[in-house]
Amino acid sequence: MRKEDEIVARLVAWFDSRLGLSHPMLRPVPEYAVNPFYWLGALTVVAFVIQGVTGMLMMLYYVPSPIQAFQSTQYIFQQVYYGRFLESVHLYTAYAMIMLAFMHMMRGYFVSVHKKPREMMWVVGMVMGFVTLGFGFTGYLLPWTVVSKSATDVGIGMIDALPAQISSLISFLIVGAGGDATELLRFYDLHVVVLPAVLLVLLTLKMYMLECHGISEPVAGVVGQEKRRLIPIFPDVSLYLLELAAVFGSAMLLISVIFPLNLPPQYSPQLAAQFTPQPDWYFLWIYQILKISIFEGAGLPVALSLVTLLFILLFLLPFIDRSEKRRLSDRPIFVTLGVIFVAELIVLAYWGLITPGQIIPFEQAALVIGGTALIIALVSFGAYWVLFSRIKRQTSSRPQAPTKLATLFSFGALATGGAFAIGNTMNTTVNIIVQGLDWWKALLLTSSIIMLAFVILASALLIYRIELPNGSLSRRIRFLEKMIHESK
Amino acid sequence: MNRNDLVVTVLVILQLLSTNYLWGLDAASSVSQARFAIFLAIDLLSFAMIAYIYRKVGWREQTYRIWLLLGSFGLVLLLVSSLIFT
Repeated sequence: MRKEDEIVARLVAWFDSRLGLSHPMLRPVPEYAVNPFYWLGALTVVAFVIQGVTGMLMMLYYVPSPIQAFQSTQYIFQQVYYGRFLESVHLYTAYAMIMLAFMHMMRGYFVSVHKKPREMMWVVGMVMGFVTLGFGFTGYLLPWTVVSKSATDVGIGMIDALPAQISSLISFLIVGAGGDATELLRFYDLHVVVLPAVLLVLLTLKMYMLECHGISEPVAGVVGQEKRRLIPIFPDVSLYLLELAAVFGSAMLLISVIFPLNLPPQYSPQLAAQFTPQPDWYFLWIYQILKISIFEGAGLPVALSLVTLLFILLFLLPFIDRSEKRRLSDRPIFVTLGVIFVAELIVLAYWGLITPGQIIPFEQAALVIGGTALIIALVSFGAYWVLFSRIKRQTSSRPQAPTKLATLFSFGALATGGAFAIGNTMNTTVNIIVQGLDWWKALLLTSSIIMLAFVILASALLIYRIELPNGSLSRRIRFLEKMIHESK
Repeated sequence: MNRNDLVVTVLVILQLLSTNYLWGLDAASSVSQARFAIFLAIDLLSFAMIAYIYRKVGWREQTYRIWLLLGSFGLVLLLVSSLIFT
């Protein structure tokens, strides 16, 4: 052994013998998991740690009162050593934390980590995602600028649209007895005490469950024995995590230099009256949904119910998608729905960004939202169809089935019908809530739901049917995955 | 001295220079904030590269040249940024 290696080995052994690092509570990790996509959750925790450190430094100077909040933030910007740098890093790491949490969730969705026996890990992860959004919501108000206060007031105002019992409870929890001073103090307490404590408890729970179930198997390809080799947490995996954390940290630092934070003007009711409130980017998609004309005024509870329903569906995903199939090839419907979900979020967020304060006509919204879903569905269908047909052509001597164009048109017609049915169901539901129920609306709603059910069933049948001429879709994807694996 | 040793030596020297520079910055100046961030990023990226090499050597695997080149490109980018943004 070389002298330098011997020194490093002795250093590692010293720490190991004193701290018991080679007998960690955490189980070893298979080599296939040494991949950044497996550590998106860990990177979210790294972002949380950076948030904690920068946040604690800012807490030394910040005063949570409406009179001093802005001045103390300005003081951090202008007087505290590296204060502006701290604020910038805190903000951009917060954005990164939300983005990483979302990527972690969507990766889990596509590779089916939510399935048995990890259902509760998914549920706990979803709660953690909510807490992360809560950090964003509560932290946004603290600088007490016209931008942050106006947007937060709009968010709080929406609570009034909920049923009285729920709205009074939530208002009491997040705003207190009322008034700016109580609101700011409550947000501050939530941001620096309650939410971090809740997140730490949930993180411990999730880590415990991860230890029980281990890291999930990859869905693509056949994993060779060499990739199943177990790697100890210390020093190998820890070192790998440090590498990722260091690269992530340097990226955050560079971003904070390229886009340094500027403090908007202090909040005052007069200035707020001239300002169009707009939430931060991660809430823009909800903001855009709420701006659709049918959800204005009395329709607001319906919009909030729809958003809540979406979150409930995400929470309950492991109990809805109960099939044991994990491969992308075996889950065309869920894969397509996942892609549609991501695409709709991006479209709505961007649309919200470029149309601040603008009411969106329902027809326009139905066209954009339905059109996006339709395009994604067609592209997804096309990708499955073309990709697997090509593979089949290369591997089979059987003649091709001649009905592909008709199948494509059938699928397009079904997707159009589906978009129409969804739009009509939403429209009629809102009309019933706003104007009351009559025979005509009941008939319209029933026919829309029947049409929607028909489209879903017919699509499922069509997807099943297109497998027939060229063999099983899942077999074709397995073949592709094997080819990719072998080419590596 | 093999390639890995050479890269690690250069990176450690870069880290030492960068850390020394960080301690000498005038913390009250606004220009220093950008410099501080950039040179801290250089330290972190150098650390990531050293950790990568050490890990690969420990696993008796070859270090991928592409990662080392990307890391070096990142370091050059940061050094250039220090001229542009300060």
